[in-house]
Amino acid sequence: MTEQSHLGQSHLAVELHGITKRFPGVIANHDIELLVRPETIHAIVGENGAGKSTLMKTLYGMHQPDEGTITVNGTLVQFKTPTDAIAAGIGMVHQHFMLADNLTITENIILGAEPVDHRGRINFKEARDRIEALMTSLGATFNPDTNVSELGVGQRQRVEILKVLYRGAKILILDEPTAVLVPQEVEELFTTLKRLVADGATVIFISHKLDEVLAYCDEITVIRQGTSVAHTEPSQVTRRSLAELMVGSDLPDPSGRETKVGDDVRLQVTGLNLAGDIAGAKLALEDINVAVHAGEIVGIAGVEGNGQFELCESILGLRTILSGSISVCGQELSHTETRERINMGLSYIPFDRHREGLLLDAPLWENTFLGREENAGLTNGPFISRNKIEADCRTIIDRFGVLTPSEQVPAFALSGGNQQKLVVGREMAGHPKVLLAAHPTRGVDVGAQAAIWDELRHARDNGLGVLLISADLEELIGLSDRILVMFDGRVTAHLNPATATPEMLGTYMTGEEQGVDG
Amino acid sequence: MKFFKSLTTGQRTIALSLGFMLVLSIVRLFTNADDITSSGTISSTLRVATPILLAGLAGVWAERVGIVNIGIEGMMIIGTWFGAYGAWKWGSWAGIALAIFAGSLVGLLHALATVRFNVNHVVSGIAINILAAGSTEYLSIIFFKGQKGGGESQSPAGKGGYGEFDMPFLSGGRIGSWRSPDILGWLEKKHDLPLLPDLAGVLRGLVSDIYVPTIVAIALVPITAYILWRTRFGLRVRSSGESPQAGESLGVSINRLRYQAMAISGGLAAFGGAYLSTVFTSTYRQGQTGGQGYIGLATTIFGNWNPFGVFRGAILFGFPSALKFRDEKNVPSLLLVIAVILIALGVVSLMKNKQILTMGLFIGSAISAATYFLVDDVPQEFVAATPYIVTILVLAGAQQQLRPPAYAGIPYRAGENH
Repeated sequence: MTEQSHLGQSHLAVELHGITKRFPGVIANHDIELLVRPETIHAIVGENGAGKSTLMKTLYGMHQPDEGTITVNGTLVQFKTPTDAIAAGIGMVHQHFMLADNLTITENIILGAEPVDHRGRINFKEARDRIEALMTSLGATFNPDTNVSELGVGQRQRVEILKVLYRGAKILILDEPTAVLVPQEVEELFTTLKRLVADGATVIFISHKLDEVLAYCDEITVIRQGTSVAHTEPSQVTRRSLAELMVGSDLPDPSGRETKVGDDVRLQVTGLNLAGDIAGAKLALEDINVAVHAGEIVGIAGVEGNGQFELCESILGLRTILSGSISVCGQELSHTETRERINMGLSYIPFDRHREGLLLDAPLWENTFLGREENAGLTNGPFISRNKIEADCRTIIDRFGVLTPSEQVPAFALSGGNQQKLVVGREMAGHPKVLLAAHPTRGVDVGAQAAIWDELRHARDNGLGVLLISADLEELIGLSDRILVMFDGRVTAHLNPATATPEMLGTYMTGEEQGVDG
Repeated sequence: MKFFKSLTTGQRTIALSLGFMLVLSIVRLFTNADDITSSGTISSTLRVATPILLAGLAGVWAERVGIVNIGIEGMMIIGTWFGAYGAWKWGSWAGIALAIFAGSLVGLLHALATVRFNVNHVVSGIAINILAAGSTEYLSIIFFKGQKGGGESQSPAGKGGYGEFDMPFLSGGRIGSWRSPDILGWLEKKHDLPLLPDLAGVLRGLVSDIYVPTIVAIALVPITAYILWRTRFGLRVRSSGESPQAGESLGVSINRLRYQAMAISGGLAAFGGAYLSTVFTSTYRQGQTGGQGYIGLATTIFGNWNPFGVFRGAILFGFPSALKFRDEKNVPSLLLVIAVILIALGVVSLMKNKQILTMGLFIGSAISAATYFLVDDVPQEFVAATPYIVTILVLAGAQQQLRPPAYAGIPYRAGENH
């Protein structure tokens, strides 16, 4: 037995050698080496745009490499379509789920591989038996006859994994599977994956979340700028050294300031209460007190969905508050229109740039004009001035280093990081007095992150008051002058970033309370 | 309420139908409008409902596969013309076969436009409607003009009819040359009894004087349901309308499915058209469909994209139309039926503690009843509009619980999601 498994070592589950993939104008992958031992969880880490997904699509047969070889279980293979890859025992769980909501779990799983009799009638009993057997081995418990629409995100992912297993996959590729999960679900996912590995499967796990990679994976391959730069194990690296491998240079440092916090209060929220979405439910926000001074960044930490979004919308006037007061630069505005609040110097970098921040189909110059329709510098009386807006847009593009051929391209043509830089640029362009910045660097690469941090710091030094909402604890600790923790619609802790650690924040974010003394 | 909720769907349908029958029976006793539940009314309801049913099924096939088919009306028009042409040349069944073939081709044309060329589904559908109306007029000039009985807007009469069917013993059908007793017919004439003659009338209506094409159309309801929910092809069709990416990523050819389902959809719609020009009447006439394709599409929605729901919708529309056809004096009694049903709904909503809705329903009921008692002469226009009004009311009321296929009408290009 030992002998055999020793022999098995020479048979890797997946071996990629010298993989190069070019797209018109870009080399997405070049000379990538990837060695995956069977029955391991192998992480592929890298920044956004490093080429992780391109590589996995090559392995799954969604496109063919221009150079290099693919070997699966010791056999040299060429995949023309995903069907070939499936036949070779490779399955892929896509980042965006491919599920039909109004079909049952069973129907979703068997689609395309239905057990049928000679007349094309589906043998639902056979399907159900197989799915239930797979569910038992996964440790999943749900009724396979329920509609997928009734499932939560974690369960849907489980169904995606079942889909892959149903087709007999032994090598599973998971493309950023934890991006959509809450922490408990992440833990459940890895429990599931460990079970699969114990049963003989091999998991290739794409991520840029280093904590979970270090905690759960057996081996790590680091991809940087389209090529593999390191193959290592969690025991041999630290979070920081792994991050530096990913980035290829020293990490940008968010901390440090020379100027002082000003005296005048820019944003004052006092005793704010907001009703929940459902009548009679508990309050969405309860007795929130926040003050932001000129030249100050106040960080809000918290697991998403604990009232941060509602707080921003209340300050902006998008929600009707129950009681309390909101003032900007000493002017009470809890009963004014959103437009008026913006004119008074409020600005907002929204949570989701696609949903709230940009018109994806509109050109960049239209996007930078959004929300600034009353800016006299961009209009000619009642008409918009395209020349002025385009010039203004070019200024934003230059100042924030947005990578784009011109201001005429539609917003969807930009990468996520560049879209975010454009949104940040637009919100800073009107020289606001108070900026609500929700996840200003979410999903952007390290270079863009550094640029956005520099801009925030610069504006702060010039007297801007910033309410910074972020899930990136290092960003919070590095940029903020004070940190508040929100939990369950309330502020539950006040921390000093000089002494706070991510672990400490984590404790408060999950419900630990501190005697809040202001 | 609890008891009602504990019933299965089938039991609920039966309970509701019986309740509805009871309402009709009461109204009949009260108004002496015996036609309301007579076998004649019911069998003509089926006749009126058949083309709408077929159009509705055409809508189910199209939308389930993810294509909005406004072109059903046009496909029906094609069906009326080719049905009449086939019936004139070779006989009635040939007419229907030819119509189905022509309709499938038009369905494929719609698929070509929406799948291959990514034309907006509504635009393509409307184009088909215009094309169908224009081309049939043109074809009529070429083929029908100058023929005996034919003209620019009318076809010569078709050859041969269809078999009619009566059930032995229940409605006096023949076995060989022997004519069996007509048990339901006898029961139906006992007008003084409550409920019994009504039930007998309705049942007899369902099993007497039915054209064979109607039986085929009704059989297509469970057949469609069986294919969509029990077979591989059906599962793939539904997945295409819900999430084409899901199927595509698992090796299902979405485009081919869409062509297939649209051929079926076009064929069904044209069958409905041919029914109008060869069964319901025996000639093609321009404008014969009169918007029934759109009503069919409405029953697709009302029926929640489910063939049985479509059947219910078609009957709902067919019933007032049949009453109107038989004798316009019947229509006012419908007001009373509506009044009673609104009261029943009001009681239900009162039990659910929805005061405003209850108020509305009771007021509606009162207005209905008052109209019946106070207005002697219901205007002709109202009578003609009744079926449409009933359809609109029901559609408006049913709208909230409907769940369309998630991807119906959304542009999709195969292979772009990788």
